[in-house]
Amino acid sequence: MQPAVVVTGIGTVTSIGIGREPFWDSLLSGLCGIGDVESFDTSSYCVHRGAEVKDFRSEAFVSKLDRNCIGRASQFAIAAARLALADANLDMKTLDFERVGVTIGTTSGEPQMIERFDDAAVSGALKSVGPEFMRFYPCHVIAAHVASELDIEGVNVTIPTACAAGNYAIAHAFDVLRAGRVDLMLAGGSDSFSRITYTGFARLGAIAPEVCQPFDRNRKGMVPGEGAGILVLEPLERAVRRQARIYAEVVGYGLSCDAHHMTAAHPFGAARAMEKALSESRIEPEQVSYISAHGTGTPTNDRIETLAVKRVFKDAAYRTPISSIKSMLGHSMGAASAIEAAVCALAIFHGRVPPTINLEEPDPECDLDYVPNCARELDVNVAMNNAYAFGGNNASLILRKIEA
Amino acid sequence: MAMSADEIRDKIKRSIASITFIDPGKFDDFTSYEDDLAIDSLSILEIVVDVEYQFQIKVPEEELSAIRTIGDTVKTVQKYLCVEVV
Amino acid sequence: MVRRVVITGAGVISSLGDSPENLHSALCEGRTGLRPIKLFSTEGLGCHLGGEVASFSAKTYLGEKNFRPLDRTSQLVAATAEMALDRSGWSVEMRGQHEVGLALGTMFCSVHTISQFDQRALVAGPAYASPMDFSNTVLNAAAGQTAIWHNLRGVNSTIAAGSASGLQAIIYATELIRSGRSQAILAGGADELCFESFYGFNRAELLCGSNHSPGDFPIPFDKRRNGFALGEGAALLVLEDAELAAERGASVLAEISGQGGGFDPSRATDSGKSIAAIARSIRLALNDAHVTPDEIGCVSMSANGSVPTDRNEAAAVAALFGERANAIPVTAIKSMLGETLGASGAMQVITLLEAMRDGAVPGISQLDEVEDNFPLRNASPDTQELDLSSGLINSVGFDGGCCSIVLSRCE
Repeated sequence: MQPAVVVTGIGTVTSIGIGREPFWDSLLSGLCGIGDVESFDTSSYCVHRGAEVKDFRSEAFVSKLDRNCIGRASQFAIAAARLALADANLDMKTLDFERVGVTIGTTSGEPQMIERFDDAAVSGALKSVGPEFMRFYPCHVIAAHVASELDIEGVNVTIPTACAAGNYAIAHAFDVLRAGRVDLMLAGGSDSFSRITYTGFARLGAIAPEVCQPFDRNRKGMVPGEGAGILVLEPLERAVRRQARIYAEVVGYGLSCDAHHMTAAHPFGAARAMEKALSESRIEPEQVSYISAHGTGTPTNDRIETLAVKRVFKDAAYRTPISSIKSMLGHSMGAASAIEAAVCALAIFHGRVPPTINLEEPDPECDLDYVPNCARELDVNVAMNNAYAFGGNNASLILRKIEA
Repeated sequence: MAMSADEIRDKIKRSIASITFIDPGKFDDFTSYEDDLAIDSLSILEIVVDVEYQFQIKVPEEELSAIRTIGDTVKTVQKYLCVEVV
Repeated sequence: MVRRVVITGAGVISSLGDSPENLHSALCEGRTGLRPIKLFSTEGLGCHLGGEVASFSAKTYLGEKNFRPLDRTSQLVAATAEMALDRSGWSVEMRGQHEVGLALGTMFCSVHTISQFDQRALVAGPAYASPMDFSNTVLNAAAGQTAIWHNLRGVNSTIAAGSASGLQAIIYATELIRSGRSQAILAGGADELCFESFYGFNRAELLCGSNHSPGDFPIPFDKRRNGFALGEGAALLVLEDAELAAERGASVLAEISGQGGGFDPSRATDSGKSIAAIARSIRLALNDAHVTPDEIGCVSMSANGSVPTDRNEAAAVAALFGERANAIPVTAIKSMLGETLGASGAMQVITLLEAMRDGAVPGISQLDEVEDNFPLRNASPDTQELDLSSGLINSVGFDGGCCSIVLSRCE
């Protein structure tokens, strides 16, 4: 009999708060983390907005590894992992570290490392790139750094499936726990602000000039961001035995691949991921209380996503609140769906759902209940978390309230 | 020396051919990217950016969606290269 | 119910051949794929050899198509997938009716594309950045492109675990089939040879020829070894639910009967911890397969010529195999292919599949004298004739991650 898997700890590093409580409070109050980009010069770009994490102090979280060497995404991941473990109120001495694992999703890995390489290359100073490039650049270092900092010895995998990576990492952790290979997993996603990512989205014309307005008639695009979200996942029985606070149960997930286009989503693929998640969880669409949307704010994504939800939920789509926290956080890439999974767990636990802010004028093609502008009290029994990525990688995760 | 319209046209056709793998012999000024060449929006954008790069011009974002045919592309390049239309 | 996972097809593109049979023959003849690199200039670097896939052209495998949207890594993967799918019998029609997935392991995916994209934007300005190249800067680009090319609508994932990425992807895919989430899934890995990663490894003094000790060729186990050589390629297996394979009358190459993995938190700076992590992975794999070390016919080592890592892996194998440690046949194909990173794990699997078929296990090329006090001594440069019914395959990253699988012949 496969064990039920529950969320007992949440750690978040975001542009609107570091740590579960500050983050959740900011989210419910509709605080926006979007501002002018500071981490690199955008004067030769025609867009300038981003959602960067401010006031992040790695010295508060990284003690074993050299924080001057490891990249920003690794620092975020370590911070979120430590926050999640503290939040789970775990006595680390009771853990068999051979049976604790780490799975982290990411889009860019440690982009500053390759950006420094490129800066050196174009200025004829390649020799200034030393051995640190190979040691700290390849993206698998993120999960490796978390495990190394915390002395964790079990499953260790980085899953770089772009903007759906957080969900993929949580899904894999879920499977590994159910297979009995581990007793505890740290799972989530991390990404740092990236000039390369910014340049690409700007070149595609996908970045909004001011704010992110998912589902709004006048939405103009996404806003790149950064951050990390990590969940502590463990078997229900173990959580109950140690009297842990349980936020929610992870019931199931669905992954699909569009096999259609590298950058443009297809409604059938998104719908299939939702259908698979519901089917595996043995949950009917009408039983879903809340959907955390991918909701990037681009004209195409929001329209396609709405179509996909209607395809799966049919009439129930109009009765299911669906909000996009990217309206506040921007798009934190590989971290996004992990942070959104944390939000689903918190929504279930607290009975409140965050808003989609900046929703001023409804779009006739996006006519669902997007929880416009104000958080709402809602008895959330089942929450669905959707994420769609370049390469046609789609992932839907389902969380459910644990009956006391 | 200023570029002639034919030179501009040839360079554009070569750019399109390298991105789409379609024989440039099949192109004329009326060839539409979407309807005749059936190429997607990413490929069209790639062609536009490559043309801008080749000619070192910048086409304002709001004019990009009006470029639908090879002829439109030639005219746009001429406009931003300040060359008389032939 | 635990489903059994079998292999029904394999594809490979490497510096020693573009089919499982060609690769295996070359390895058994002791040929090296390591040659002076032509893909980019190695001027000023200490190392000049690499396992380059010479004159790779995607149209050889995929026909006259537009390859501009795909970068070299994606082309290698799409071409290899074509081969594996064809050999397994998963036709275009069948892929239209059933969802076939893809789990791709890669260390860098497209670091060359990422760098080229970034450098063009730096030099020419962000307005001239290539939109098409941007879509290949994501680390799951090759998996996404291959899915589009071959209509692979099942689970599509990319796994990064350093040089253990490919075997880790195979383990990931195995789990998906065992849990019933997937019935057929391509699994393996790829990495291309490019200036960016070559420079990085060279600068870290990990390549032979880059660290002031003599010798340009990687010689796993040997006392003269001084590092690894960098290779490239792509290798994919078709993994399938055994029942589905039987139903459709597929020919089964072998079963993946066990798997295990772990991590050394010292990131290979403490040899004791490194050995313990590798030994644990092997033990987990053997237990999962319900086999004892005595039942293993051969070990495909991850050993690539790296001084500490070869030794740590050998110590771990020796610890598990006990008295049999110096009798168990071993092979180390990175001696001839170089370290192919994401592709390495699946290349090791393919070699063992071929060995199960034709009874020949390649030796360790150029091995002359095993290092003094090396934990494993039963290594030879010569090909061995073996009737192989099971094998252990290890994949050990240079910085902490490791995993192992057990391959069993299906009777």
